[in-house]
Amino acid sequence: MKPDKQPHSAPSDREEPARVNRREFVSSAVAAGLAAAGAGAAGTASARQAAGDAQAPGALPPTAAQEAMESEIPDGYTAGQAREYFVSNPGSDFMLDVIRRLGLEYIATNPGSSFRGLQESIVNYGGNQAPELLTCVHEEQAVAMAHGYYKVNGKPMGVLCHGTVGLQHAAMAVYNAWCDRAPMMLLAGNHLDAAERRAGVEWSHSAQDCVRVIRDYIKWDDMPVSLQHYAESMARGLKIAMTPPAGPVAVVLDGHLQEAEAGEQDLGPIAVSLNRPPAGDEAAVAEAARMLLEAESPVIVADLMARDQEGVERLVALAEALQAPVVNQFGRMNFPNTHYLSQGATAVAQADVVLGLELFDVWGVINTVRDRVHRDSVRKARPDARVISIGSNDLFTKSNYQNFQRFYPSDLSIAGDAQATLPLLTEAVLSGMSPARRAGNSAREARLREAHSLARGQALDDARYGWNAIPVSTARLYAELWQVAKDRDWALVSDDGAQSRWARRLWPIDRHYRYIGRSGGAGLGYGAPAAVGAALAHRPEGRFAINVQKDGDMMYTPGAFWTAAYHGIPLLTVTHNNQGYHQEYMHLQRMAARRQRGIESSWRVGNELRNPDIDLAGIARATGVWAEGPVLDPADLGPALARAAEVVDGGEPAFVDVRCQPR
Amino acid sequence: MSARARIARPPDLVVPVLLLWALGSPPAWSDEPANDVREGLALYISQQCWQCHGYEGQGGVAGVRLAPTRLPYEAFARLVRFTNLMPAYSPKVLGDEQLRLIYAYVRSIPEPPALEEIPELDFD
Repeated sequence: MKPDKQPHSAPSDREEPARVNRREFVSSAVAAGLAAAGAGAAGTASARQAAGDAQAPGALPPTAAQEAMESEIPDGYTAGQAREYFVSNPGSDFMLDVIRRLGLEYIATNPGSSFRGLQESIVNYGGNQAPELLTCVHEEQAVAMAHGYYKVNGKPMGVLCHGTVGLQHAAMAVYNAWCDRAPMMLLAGNHLDAAERRAGVEWSHSAQDCVRVIRDYIKWDDMPVSLQHYAESMARGLKIAMTPPAGPVAVVLDGHLQEAEAGEQDLGPIAVSLNRPPAGDEAAVAEAARMLLEAESPVIVADLMARDQEGVERLVALAEALQAPVVNQFGRMNFPNTHYLSQGATAVAQADVVLGLELFDVWGVINTVRDRVHRDSVRKARPDARVISIGSNDLFTKSNYQNFQRFYPSDLSIAGDAQATLPLLTEAVLSGMSPARRAGNSAREARLREAHSLARGQALDDARYGWNAIPVSTARLYAELWQVAKDRDWALVSDDGAQSRWARRLWPIDRHYRYIGRSGGAGLGYGAPAAVGAALAHRPEGRFAINVQKDGDMMYTPGAFWTAAYHGIPLLTVTHNNQGYHQEYMHLQRMAARRQRGIESSWRVGNELRNPDIDLAGIARATGVWAEGPVLDPADLGPALARAAEVVDGGEPAFVDVRCQPR
Repeated sequence: MSARARIARPPDLVVPVLLLWALGSPPAWSDEPANDVREGLALYISQQCWQCHGYEGQGGVAGVRLAPTRLPYEAFARLVRFTNLMPAYSPKVLGDEQLRLIYAYVRSIPEPPALEEIPELDFD
């Protein structure tokens, strides 16, 4: 027997200093959970369960019968009978060993019989620790949780789905993650061998090719036919998912492989093996530096760029070297809005060279299509403006879904990860900068400091309009929220685009973790579960996570709040409740005006979310979350938020429904 | 209730009417007759101006700020009739007199509190 080839009687994670007998592992996990609960920590669901929640499933110590089964034939059974009734070394235990070795800390799931073997292994063999199951009430929520979680801490989460119905429920959220380059490991249960399927539902929940429904918008998938195949595909899948441009991958878990005896399996070659992000070609980077240094008015535009704080600091270094304004499109938090080089989108109109970093839409930075009867294109940038594009878009894309946007022939395209390329570019800029160019930097700095200061003053001035309006203005919503955020280590886990971008305009977004960016595919149902996933990632850091929740979006996936309550995930949710699908209202208005029919009496149809009004706070309360509202009078908002913040400080989610102006 | 039945229902005027009561008479600098302001507010609501410009014309990402305005009526009307900033409202769906009354309402909206009077906007 090779050293690593063995019946896998214990998890053998390379990161663990010593092997732990599986039963000892479970017992110690329970003890750790008890200790955490005793110390009053917010804790995981396991800790909460171990602390005495008799209704919740948790990591329980093995029974005497379970222990005996592993080493001997149970009393009263023949060897043949034991083989018929019992499995001592199930394949899903090995599957879990692989998951643990790959370092997935959480697996979000809505339970399903096609992965009952792995679920049992996670909760009993693994003690529901690393990975811990996150109970979700819909697969769309499970995927969106993984999406939000990754965007905060850069770690992929596993999502365990029924291969058929589960993946179909998950599909919308998978598409958001694909568009937003959020990696995750989708694990799909399935029964491939028709001769072994139980009659009835197990047939309806099996497929020849269950991943087909999402294959257009994931990076890779596999359907392993052996446990070794599974192990290697998991390691390969993780590597592919995390390589820029990052995105979801899927691995099918065959039901028979999960439930049958594992036999001898080799965990040895399985390890985390990630690609270093690819940097741009050196000669091309030098050319980009030359173009930027020769420019009179270079402007940097960044979108899906910074993965972490290091990415932010790299962009600050380049921008300061050039004294070039940065337009942050906030697909990620790329650049501090407190920095004087942070400028508005109109800066592009002045640029003679535009440097685009991981742009979702290069064409759209330079041009626009007017939404009129004849959709004509208008160039926003100067006619002579040249464009440098650095990004990983072209390294991996697919044909069917058109999220790749309109084609733009950049003057210099560099295929590579922008964050990885930035140090090379900054070095080339600094080494190639002439004394005259360097001398001009102070004048640029003074001009841009003034512009930044003016924009800041304008934002504050704009915020006072409608200050006392009923319902609450979106500016006031963010100003009042700031009163509870400012003295805490806050993080906004929602996008403010539908609230006139007041967070970006008013709040000092100075660190990567302060702002999460947008959904990617703009598919509704993302907000609440992504916020819960993001808040879970913030929890170990003790950060105060804030979700400004749109009402229409919330109605897709309100069950996410139950998951937050069940798992003790602290999160302040405040609604931007405009009682309708306001974006669609505006489209209806445009069509009606264009056709000269008006919408005086018809605007409600298909758009309003009232008559009856939806009791959003009631929905939150029904999921076990502390809730208040609706708040209509702006004077009542501050006290309500203060009460909610206290709940969040205690480690639980809280919810305040606020009736707001439409935008 | 069917969707068609809902069409017949009058717009929900509770909030804007409260707003009007709160405003009371038009501000001193506004020379718009009070009746015009009231009718203009009703039109501002029924024609859905508030959806993009807000109940107090404060504007935002969906629509420009309308109030307080010093625009002459002609410029205001041109903004509504011929524009790339919003869907063009022709006289067929919004008559000249209706537009004039909306203008009267917009003109009546007073200045918001000064920045110094709003401690929540003190970010220093």
